[in-house]
Amino acid sequence: MTKAQSLWNQGVKIGAIGGVSVLIISLVGMVESFGKRDIIAGVLPMGVAIALIISILAAYMAAKKTPISEKSIQFANAVVSGLVISGFLAVFVMIGRSFNIREMFVGASPVLYNILTGGVAGAGGIFLLLLTGVLCGAFAGILYMLRDLPRKLTVNALLTIFILGLLQELILPILKAWDIGMINYLAGLFYTLNGLTPVGAILSVVIFCVLYLLWNANQGAVKSKYAALPKEARKKSQIAALIVLAVILIVLPQFLGLFLSEVITIVGLYVLLGLGLNIVVGYAGLLDLGYVAFFAIGSYVVALLTSPQIFAFGLNFWQALPIAVICGILAGVMLGIPVLKMRGDYLAIATLGFGEIIRILVLSDFLRPWLGGAQGIGSIPNPNLFGFQMVKPQHIYYLLLAGIILVIFISLRLKKSKIGRAWMAMREDEDVAQAMGINLVATKLLAFATGAGFSALSGAIFASKIGSVYPHSFNVFISINVVCIVIIGGIGSLPGIVVGAAVLMGLPELLREFAEYRMFVYGVALVIVMLLRPEGLLPEARHKMEFHDETEAGAKTVA
Amino acid sequence: MTKRFGGLVALNALNINVKEKSIHSIIGPNGAGKTTFFNCLTGFYRPEEGEVMFNGQSIVGLSPDRIVHKGISRTYQNIRLFPNLTALENVMVGYHVHLKSGFFGPILGLKKTKMEEEKARQIALDLLKYVNMEGREDTLAKNFPYGEQRRLEMARALASQPKLLLLDEPTAGMNPKETQDMMDFIQHMRGELGITIILIEHQMRVVMNISDIVTVFDYGKMIAEGLPEEIKNNKTVIEAYLGTGEAADSH
Repeated sequence: MTKAQSLWNQGVKIGAIGGVSVLIISLVGMVESFGKRDIIAGVLPMGVAIALIISILAAYMAAKKTPISEKSIQFANAVVSGLVISGFLAVFVMIGRSFNIREMFVGASPVLYNILTGGVAGAGGIFLLLLTGVLCGAFAGILYMLRDLPRKLTVNALLTIFILGLLQELILPILKAWDIGMINYLAGLFYTLNGLTPVGAILSVVIFCVLYLLWNANQGAVKSKYAALPKEARKKSQIAALIVLAVILIVLPQFLGLFLSEVITIVGLYVLLGLGLNIVVGYAGLLDLGYVAFFAIGSYVVALLTSPQIFAFGLNFWQALPIAVICGILAGVMLGIPVLKMRGDYLAIATLGFGEIIRILVLSDFLRPWLGGAQGIGSIPNPNLFGFQMVKPQHIYYLLLAGIILVIFISLRLKKSKIGRAWMAMREDEDVAQAMGINLVATKLLAFATGAGFSALSGAIFASKIGSVYPHSFNVFISINVVCIVIIGGIGSLPGIVVGAAVLMGLPELLREFAEYRMFVYGVALVIVMLLRPEGLLPEARHKMEFHDETEAGAKTVA
Repeated sequence: MTKRFGGLVALNALNINVKEKSIHSIIGPNGAGKTTFFNCLTGFYRPEEGEVMFNGQSIVGLSPDRIVHKGISRTYQNIRLFPNLTALENVMVGYHVHLKSGFFGPILGLKKTKMEEEKARQIALDLLKYVNMEGREDTLAKNFPYGEQRRLEMARALASQPKLLLLDEPTAGMNPKETQDMMDFIQHMRGELGITIILIEHQMRVVMNISDIVTVFDYGKMIAEGLPEEIKNNKTVIEAYLGTGEAADSH
């Protein structure tokens, strides 16, 4: 390879990758369907924003990977990368306009071409597309050459606009719920029904920059002041923070309105599931892909005991709940026994099978007289607390909150105990753990049972909330969702799981267009997390050390 | 005992007696069956034929977690710590056999459980101090340099308060000073703690200096046994083993 060639190698290569990525996203239809929602109303549709972000990222990588440390070459590489990306798209548009490739690529519609070319027809559109690519590249190049502070400032400011625009459906109703003149005015200033206003965007950037710079200038002072506080005062401030958090959590449903309360409830159910799976996967290292089985068992037990449809037990929710949890625990033990000797992939497949077994059993005609078959079981009464019917999602929210707090409490207590250490030792090295006196059978069964119990708890609440259970609700995707939450949120990290559930379950509700591409996005997210941040979004402190610490004090370990 | 893996006879009618409170070394070429012997003692393998008697009791066929309860503990040829647990947690796992708390104790915050935890923690800290790793208890095990990992493994093995300690090549990869420290340490364990020690070693200096008895393996059989001085001059042993480029000279 000549010297000249090697200079541009990275730019072209990464540009190609970026180009293919944007192309795939366009062809899959994401750009088009996301185009209906705006980040900045009337100015920047979400689909375009995503394409731009990918292009800028690719160009930035191109600059970073340039083999020569000369600024002009790095900048040029970024521009080249951007140009290659838009080149791909331009060729695509030109082909698409001349031939009908719609039979092959459903997403290749005129609407898409319009979006890509900014609505300008013919050669002008193509030129505009290429120019956009060049500008993305140039922007990325400039970003790369900036020093740390301005770069972080710019990136985070733009990220803020993106997120604020994205979450318009979440933020706007909360602001409006206060119904105070001042806040209403602000809401109108920042938001329209479809994203940020241009004014809002600019204001957001300004406010963010001010806050960021202030924090940056003072964070050293604040942190050292905090560290210098006596332990007493620090503990007090931590407790104060927890109290504030508690107040926010308790008061939240009042501001959320019906739709958002629903969303929060779904997130809550998944947080509960995630916390339960955290014990099986995070603490004990047992890869369980059939977690939905216990969720289903919890739901069906509550359904059978409280609904008059099949049996007339006539129990109420609170009586059925402990029975549901116990049934879940027993099921956990039942699953655990045959898989005791399995490890890794085999364990995953076996547990996956168990999940499917439960689904097929509740769906079956054979068991229809007892389990309701494909029609499921309906008429499940809402929980009734001393005469107070828990009908609205806001009420279920409090029930979930109580459940989540209970599970977090149990998780934390177990982690610092003999059984917690036994689980973790088993996860690290099963044979040596056994050689330390840990009874593998009991320890594994206990992990499965505990996880299953929590899952059944979530299922019980789910059944009462929805009022009916259908076999189709309990499919493998629930298991997959929970595993994704745990991994992306951060294995073993309790706040991580809450964040993971909020992002992975909440966002698709807020961004309806996402729902169609859910699995695609999860897959991409998993890969990105594994590559860039394997410890998850909000990892435990120790896990961050785990994954990034190879260069620290440790000499090589013997394999 | 005899141990076979398919057609391979790893241990062939091996017969060994280990005296209480002795330091008993096992040497032999690689592949002679030394680690297999340890694995049979700790219940990881089950010998096809033979018996293992410990303190008058037969322990053959017991699973590894039961054997620890009997008072046998070991370290590994390739260090097998729990890499993502802290030093303190590693040692506390070693103490597992002495903890009685169950599932509900920790959840309910029972006083008995709390006291037991505190005691375990204190014992672990003391053990870390004993192996000169005081103050490092919250570092992840995988972040320690090699020598400290070996010592950590030692602390973990001691946490179960064993009567018999099996050390598998404890000085592998160590420089002369570290080796000397380890030798002193082993003798201290026998002297102060009264632990019987079986040692697999390749460094002749160590073997000659601290062992009470030396057994030599080759091809799964014992080919010689006796005092270090006797072994050093034993013709069969020299033919089979010594002089193969190991640090053969002791002083």
